[in-house]
Amino acid sequence: MAGGGGGARKSRAAGPVPLTTTLVLDNGADTIKAGFVSDDKSDDKPRIIPNCLARDRHRKIYVGSELEKCKDFSEMAFRRPVEKGFIVNWEAQKEIWDREFFDDKAPNKCNPSETRLILTEQPNSLPSLQTHCDQIVFEEYGFASYYRGVGPVFNAYRDIQSISRTPQVSIDSPAEVILLIDTGYSHTTVTPILQGRPLHPAIRRLDVGGKLMTNYLTRLLSVRHFDMRNEPYIVNEMKEAVCYTSLDFKGDMEKTWKGTRGEKREDYVGGAGIAKDYVLPDSHTRFHGVVRDYEPGVSARARKTIVSTEDVLTLRNERFVVPELLFNPSDIGIRQPGIADLVKQSLLALPIGLWPGLLANIVVVGGNSLSEGFCQRLQTEILKRFPDECRVRVARPEDPITSTWLGAANFAKHEHASRLEVTKQEYEEHGAAWVARKFAAGLGLDS
Amino acid sequence: MNNFGVIEVASQKTKNAPGWAYVPDTGLTPAAAAALQPLNRKRAARDKANVGAPDLTARQDAKIRKDLEALDKDSHRDAQIPIPPKAGGSRGALSSKLYTQKRDHGADMTSAWIAQNKHTPNVRKILQSQKTFANHLDDYHAFLALAESNPQLAAQVNKPTPTTTARNSPAPSTITTASTNKRSSAASKRAAVTAAAAAAAKEEKAGSSKRPKTQPQPKPAPADDDDDGDVEMTPETTEEATAAADPSELLPPRPDTSTPLDDSTTETTETEPPKPQSYPPDGTILPAYARPPPVPHPGDDDPLLVSRVPPFPTDEELRALMTAPPLSYTEARAQWTEEEEGRYPVRRFCEVCGYWGRVKCIKCGARVCALECLEAHREECLVRYGL
Ligand SMILES: [Zn+2]
Ligand SMILES: [Zn+2]
Repeated sequence: MAGGGGGARKSRAAGPVPLTTTLVLDNGADTIKAGFVSDDKSDDKPRIIPNCLARDRHRKIYVGSELEKCKDFSEMAFRRPVEKGFIVNWEAQKEIWDREFFDDKAPNKCNPSETRLILTEQPNSLPSLQTHCDQIVFEEYGFASYYRGVGPVFNAYRDIQSISRTPQVSIDSPAEVILLIDTGYSHTTVTPILQGRPLHPAIRRLDVGGKLMTNYLTRLLSVRHFDMRNEPYIVNEMKEAVCYTSLDFKGDMEKTWKGTRGEKREDYVGGAGIAKDYVLPDSHTRFHGVVRDYEPGVSARARKTIVSTEDVLTLRNERFVVPELLFNPSDIGIRQPGIADLVKQSLLALPIGLWPGLLANIVVVGGNSLSEGFCQRLQTEILKRFPDECRVRVARPEDPITSTWLGAANFAKHEHASRLEVTKQEYEEHGAAWVARKFAAGLGLDS
Repeated sequence: MNNFGVIEVASQKTKNAPGWAYVPDTGLTPAAAAALQPLNRKRAARDKANVGAPDLTARQDAKIRKDLEALDKDSHRDAQIPIPPKAGGSRGALSSKLYTQKRDHGADMTSAWIAQNKHTPNVRKILQSQKTFANHLDDYHAFLALAESNPQLAAQVNKPTPTTTARNSPAPSTITTASTNKRSSAASKRAAVTAAAAAAAKEEKAGSSKRPKTQPQPKPAPADDDDDGDVEMTPETTEEATAAADPSELLPPRPDTSTPLDDSTTETTETEPPKPQSYPPDGTILPAYARPPPVPHPGDDDPLLVSRVPPFPTDEELRALMTAPPLSYTEARAQWTEEEEGRYPVRRFCEVCGYWGRVKCIKCGARVCALECLEAHREECLVRYGL
């Protein structure tokens, strides 16, 4: 997954680094997105670094991008510095940052005293965690300057109309109006943004994210097939490969029901286009799972005897009840509105005159948005909740996982960045509380 | 949907029923999943009234809560993965001292290798902290509760010292947050006391430790900045900071311009000398937003659809929104509204195969779809709960 720009990075590390270099970090719970932006030369995409310490079944430990060297992911255990979307464990986070950015052989080697840091954070963090972050940035690393900003907001600095892959050379002004939905590992947030300013009173969070969905799939598999509770990596891979967002939940439910005792429902026997076989990794010849078309003719028992070395799961409603949690969290007892009602609650906190603009400019980012059918389902559900004349448009950039980084990279070149950044000297003069207030105040108004 | 294959029995109250009951999917599960659901008082009261709901036994309630806790975990096992030593030890081999730290937040003993010499006291404290997010959230709530019950003491706790700057961070709209705090007052008070004590202890400890050279002396009385919910920049900002930030932040908002769609670029020049590279000045906040409002809708009695002509927000409204402080973590968490409370169908699924759970096990309340899954369930049910 790591970007291929290693050569460019090496040369940058070797030569003198101009002060205009910015390290842009989208520090996610699952992965860090990292890259450099400077006047002359910028990374056109971030390096994606697992933000974890991982231990395999032979008790070998991998830190961050070392995980790329791992082949066998069975019984993999993870320790993550980011919890609920926020950096909580700095012992682990510092270790990963050190190895990726600051050690002599770090892949994104950088000299903090000559570098500006732009770091994303999830909305509505706790003040103590923000302060910890600022203290580490200045007191431990000594970055020349720094801005910590709400991740979703950076997406306003992309050309949302023609969501393009490479950072623009320059962007005149952030998008007028966006309703940004970020559905990631820890949770899902809705952030209305006007001209690069988050409308804080209307930011809403649903505590359903990729982690919870993987855990839910793990539970379903463990009840129905094999005990997968010690296989988070494998289940996550399976989730990404087979899960989809249903556009007809009730219909798909009917198609995947086996029926009552002795009954052989046609849809169930034939798979109804929903059933898929999933071959689990065996840690010898196969290190990743494989999706296969379901073969209706072959009974489970027969299949077992034909290929006895394979552990094959037939997945049916497991494929769509997992992403369904984003739309109906109450399915597992969570008393929170689904994602479409999250949007509605956010808009209800705003003047009605802003609704049309926001509804016509919904942008979804984050890994969960990659689930097939997600955007269409979201659009349908939002439409149901607003007047017919409201134009609802849901767009997903082609790179929803790196979109926030790409936006932040554009932001780094924008005049707003220099307005918002805090220098090391300012930190030393005014202290952490002042820095936190300045970041919380944001851009303010222009005129 | 009638293809059900089982005989419906009278009701779950029938003691000698064969062990299952057909249940129509109706009501809500009242107290489901409190683990992920901090309830407000009003809602808690409502739920209490619902306790007699036949659908959910206390045991099932506990099960849902436990299940949600498990789903919220990062891993099935608690992964205690230590930081591995570095090959080569390029960057100052992890040095010197083993700290064994017993945290006040739990009984867990943790030890961490910390290179003592190269960190500032703040950093050392942060690196040693084994607090979880839940610990930090509890601390925060405790502080809010303290601010509510005893603002003066809260200000004391909040008083910045070099090593307690963490507690000096902005608590935007502290007062309002406190008033909507979801905790019972008794619990808050208890927590506040604990927090105050903890903070006092920390301050004491901090006082004896050497002050870091890089730390600025705190401003004389910044506590009020934190308590009045004001997140504007402080006026004593120095020239460099003001250059980086917009001077308008320091000024009161302009009076409302009555013509939201016209451009009055001249206005901006008179307040301040133009900054280099300043954001394109505009007389209104959303100049490009001149589209006609949606046409009226027949269903205008819906509160959502009252937009006969959705009034475009005034600049004043927009200004307030764009400069409003962030909500707290708890405030931003979406909750069911009254309306949704009634509207959300809580769908119940077969615990064995995942289809609709239309049959209920009398013994434990679990839902299954039909006889085949019921039989599968009863084996497990017997193991778990006995006869
Ligand atoms: Zn069933
Ligand atoms: Zn039972």
